[in-house]
Order: sequence, then C-alpha cells, then structure tokens
Amino acid sequence: MSVSGHPLDRMFNPKTVAVIGDKGPNYMWLRNNLPFKEKGGNLYSIQIDENEIPGIEDLGIENFKALTDIPEPIDYAIVAVPRHVSPFVLKDLIEAEVAGAAFFTSGFAETGEELGVSLQAQLTEMAEKANFNVIGPNCMGLYLPRVGIRFNPDVPVADDGRVGFISQSGTHSIMFSLVTGANGIHLSRCASFGNAIILDISDYLEYLTEDPETDVIAMYVEGVKDGTRFVQALRKATAQKPVVVWKGGQTAAGARATMSHTGSLASPQAVWEGIMRQSGAISTNNLDETVDVVKVLLDTKPSTSRRLALMAMTGGQSVSITDAFVREGFEVGPLTQDSYEELASFFNIIGGSFHNPLDMAGTVQGKREVLERILNILDKDKNVDGLVMEQSAMFGARQWKDNPERVSDLIDTLAKHIERSAKPFLMVMHPAHEEAFVAEVRLRFAERRIPVFASFERAASAAARALPRGTRS
Amino acid sequence: MTFTETIERAREESRTLLSEVEAKIALAEAGVPVTVTRLAQTREEAVAQAEALRYPVALKVTSPNVAHKSDVGGVVLGLENQEEVANAYDEIISSVNANQPEAIIEGVSVQEMTAPGVEVIIGMTTDPQFGPVMMFGLGGIMVEVLGDVAFRLAPLGTGDAQDMINEIKGRQVLDGVRGQPPVDIDAIELILDRVSAFAAKHPEVLELDLNPVIASPEGAIAVDARIVLAEA
Repeated sequence: MSVSGHPLDRMFNPKTVAVIGDKGPNYMWLRNNLPFKEKGGNLYSIQIDENEIPGIEDLGIENFKALTDIPEPIDYAIVAVPRHVSPFVLKDLIEAEVAGAAFFTSGFAETGEELGVSLQAQLTEMAEKANFNVIGPNCMGLYLPRVGIRFNPDVPVADDGRVGFISQSGTHSIMFSLVTGANGIHLSRCASFGNAIILDISDYLEYLTEDPETDVIAMYVEGVKDGTRFVQALRKATAQKPVVVWKGGQTAAGARATMSHTGSLASPQAVWEGIMRQSGAISTNNLDETVDVVKVLLDTKPSTSRRLALMAMTGGQSVSITDAFVREGFEVGPLTQDSYEELASFFNIIGGSFHNPLDMAGTVQGKREVLERILNILDKDKNVDGLVMEQSAMFGARQWKDNPERVSDLIDTLAKHIERSAKPFLMVMHPAHEEAFVAEVRLRFAERRIPVFASFERAASAAARALPRGTRS
Repeated sequence: MTFTETIERAREESRTLLSEVEAKIALAEAGVPVTVTRLAQTREEAVAQAEALRYPVALKVTSPNVAHKSDVGGVVLGLENQEEVANAYDEIISSVNANQPEAIIEGVSVQEMTAPGVEVIIGMTTDPQFGPVMMFGLGGIMVEVLGDVAFRLAPLGTGDAQDMINEIKGRQVLDGVRGQPPVDIDAIELILDRVSAFAAKHPEVLELDLNPVIASPEGAIAVDARIVLAEA
C-alpha cells in the first residue's frame, strides 16, 4: 500500500535501489540492505574503484560503473561518497531520473566551515533546480522494514510495523528502531533526514499522515526551518492519528532583545510546549518516554478517565504502584459494592487485599481461572475505567522458569482479556535481577499485544500522556 | 486618533514603544477592558483630570524611554484628593528627572484605580520561528519566580484561551483560596481572545503586555498596558 501520486511515494516503496560508493571491508550499506534483495527487490551497487568490485560481487550484488547503466528506473539511492564527490553524484542521479536519494555523506553545513557550507549550498541549488528529492545530507536515510531497506544491520525486517518515525538525528533514528524492536514494536517507515536541504520534517510528516500503513507517528526534532508549515502539517496529522514529538535541545533561550515581559518569558521550549498542546501532539523528552508512549498508543484502548484499578502481587508493590499512578494524576478509588461482594467470596485476605489497589498473589497463586475472574470483575466495575497489573520478576522469574506453561497461561489470559475489554490495560514487569530473562519474556507479551513497562513510573507517565490520545484535558 | 494614526505618529518619531495612554486607547477600541487613563502635562491638568475621574486615582509617568516606571519613582498609587494629586505630580517629575536624567517626560497619566483582585498577566510576543504567540500567567511572584505561564499560537482557536488558563500550575488561585471568591474566568478568556484578534489585525504589533490584569468575581480589567511595534 502506498500514497499514490505523492512525490516521496517511490522512495518509500522502492522496487529498485542503488547504493553508491560503498566500500570494503564491511560494505556496510550493501550488507544492511541484503534483506531487500532477499525479499525480491533489485539491489545494485555503483562503484568505480576496481579494487572494491570483487568484494561487492562476492555479496551477490551486481555492480555498475555508472548510474545510467542500470537497466531500470531507480526508486531510491543511498549515497556514501566523500563530500567533494557528492555534487558529481547528484548530477548523475538527476540525469538518471532517480526518484530520490539519501546522502549518508557528511561534512557539510553542520561542520560550520567554509568548504562544507559551500558544498551544501551547491547541492541545494542543483537539487532545487532539478526538483530532485534529497534526503539529508548527513543522515542515515530511510528504514523500510517491510521491504528490507535498512540503515543498520540489527534493526528488524518485519511486515507488521504500524509506527512511522521521523528523526533529525541519525543515532536517534537507529536507537528508536532498535529499542522499539526489542519491545516487539515494528516500524512502518522511518526517515533520518539530517541537514534537510530539500526534504524537511513536514514532507515526511505529510507522507506518514496519508500513509495507510502508519497508525502512529513519532518524531525526534531539534528545530524546524519553516515553523508555520510544520504547525500546519502537525495539525493535519493529529487530526488523523496520534503524533508523538520528542524535542531535543531544550536549552535556555539565547539572549533576544525584547521590550516586553511576555517576550522575556517566551523561552523557545515554553512556546514549543504550548504549540504542541495546541496542535494535539503528545510531547516527550527522551527515547524511553517516546517508546513507552508509542506502546500505549499502539496497544491500549484510549481513555480520558483517570480512574484506575491497580492489581499488585504484594503489599509493598501495591503501595508503590499507587504512588506512581497518583503522582501522575490518576485516581485509585474504591470499587463498587457488587465487586467487593464478589471478590470477598473467594479472595484470600490473609496477606492480601481486594481493595483497590489489589494485593492478589496469595489469591491468584498462578491459577489462570482466578486471574480471569478478577479481571472480569474489574472489567465490569463502573468505578474504574482502566487496569494496570504488576508482576515483578523477583517472584515471577523463578516460577516461570520452573513452570514455563505459567507464562504462556498468563499471556493467553491477559491477551484474551484485552480482546474482550473496552478498558485500557497496562502491564508492569520490573526486571529486578533478571534483565535478560525479562527481555525475552516481554517480547512474548508484546507478540500478543500486551503492553509491558519496565517500571511503575514509566507506565504511569506514558499512560498519563497517551491514554487521552492528545485530546484536550 | 485611530490606531493606524498612532502607529504613523510613533514611526515619525522613530519610536517602537507606545505610551501607556496610546496603548490603552487602542486596546479599549479593540474591546479590551482597561482602566480609564488620561494624560496630564501640568499639575493643574492632573488635578482637573483626577476630579473628572473617581477617587482614588493613580499617577504614572508617561515617557517613551522609561521602561520600568516604578523603578524610577514614576508611579504613585492611592491618591484620594486634589492636594495629594498635585503633590504626587511634582514628586513624579522630580524623581524621574533625578533617577533618569535623560528621560523624555511627556507628562503624567491619571488613572482610576481598580478594586483589588487576582493579578494575572496577558501578553503577546512574536516568536522568531512560529510568529505571533499569546501568553497567559498569574501575575507577581508566580510569573517572576516560577515562570508559570502558558503559550499558544495566535490567533487563538476555540477552547485555546480556556486551555491556557487551565494549564498553569497556579490555576487554583483563580478559583479562590483562603475564602476568596472565584474570579470571572470568562472575562479573562474574553481578554485573551480580543488581544489575539487585535494582534492578528495589526501585524505591526510585535509585542504586547497587559501587566497586570486585575481579575475579580466582577470581571477582569487591564491596569497597565504596553505595546511594542516592529521596526518600520
């Protein structure tokens, strides 16, 4: 599926891709993109250095010495040549009528030095004149998990991605892709756009807004060139799907001459924050917050209510989970009389409690039908509009290792509850001393679309930001 | 004088800061409640203006190059009669001259005082990246120390003014604390919306402060106003 007629459409749905100037011993770009070839795409190399060609051919990739020699239209090119060569490559790309190219090449205006600035100006002028789609320079380009186009060897190839990510930073685009992957969340499309000499954040945002394969848009942004256009694009996007904006570089305002009190208070981040709220975007401050919020947006039902039922396994955890959610403005109030009566009929109150927050390990004892019963009672309780359950690895890991079927049972019970219930459900699984084990188990939860968070605070913060889906509070 | 004429005059005099009297006239025309403010250029005029208003009155220096009137002894509040007004006039002229000898004194504004209430600040400034933005905050220490303010792009849309007011951390103060009655929130929203419309209509306005606006159960009124024009 694509957005037909959009200027970025061929790049975002490539059938033929050329890598220009990749070199051994690693052939990073060609190797990153071998999955594209394996999935049936046509992957070519352009390299004129005779010494490099055998290594390229060893990878099973056909090399050409000129772009125009490639016998079919090229949808996307990755350019990894020294900066002084880049204008010549751009000229060839334009002549070969390539649909667009990402310039991994760096050393331009970001250096602040004269040669870099003038080379960037030269590229900009050429591309503008030819109406040519340039991503970057100084960027990681596109990551298209469905077709196997990648900017890093460890980011997943996957058909089920629903999250679009746009990033001013190459590093953050890779880290976001890896960390979401480790949480069982795949991307639909991702663009690292670097210096943005032609295509800017709003171009990618407009595409992802239209893109039927993208349900949630997230972005990392340090600054925008055309503020008015960005706000327009953002408002259009939030009217269609949730948008998460991670703002980097929240430094103090530079000294700006102002004769008003208002002007002196208008720090860039205060104004930015106001614009985000006004535009209906969800603001985040770092990678983990962004991943957590995306998780809530993808895998929980929406809710503007603040009334929660908290399900803890032990007394201490029931206090801590309540602290974290109350601090974020949630209410943990009494359940209905009906719920209490039903819970009282089977709950083990020695070392446990069925009052909200629930302390329930002694009652559940790993038994699926008991957990199901509690979930059903809370689901129909009129006093609560969302459920959060905790399972610390401190107790869980040992039991789960001894009885692996218990993990499968728990996952199945929760997944079925989520399917039935109209209320948001979040799971908190603190890794405690079992980081590696929990990382593995968490993925199994994610495969059944059960959102798992690493701490009460992270779950509470993400829920507060994302359960209302950016609607006005 | 229309606002366009005021702008022209300021441009002719190559100044970007409008006087409080000029700013208040423009804002009153735009439907923003402001305290009645008259310019006096002699002590006799000051007394006559005061007599035509309601006591108590306040006197403030009017000058294109005094940025902070109270810092140079340019503000006297709570004047109850002719004698106090006359003395205050002389006092302002002499202390401004002493504290800022290069000050250009056009006169002294005579203003009605408003009943006490909650001080809030409403403003507009032009962000270099995004253009005109509106600001709302609680006045005094909340804004000075805590920076407890909310911004939105201008012009404000439906619900934006309400969101700005609800966003500030000190929101509760407006509902009345320690037995105080709640202030008229609608009146604050109205000022935000009218200032937003005023700014949209006059792109020459670069920055604007209504500081303070006194909000009470009966309404909200701007006690001081400042308009900064963009360089011509």
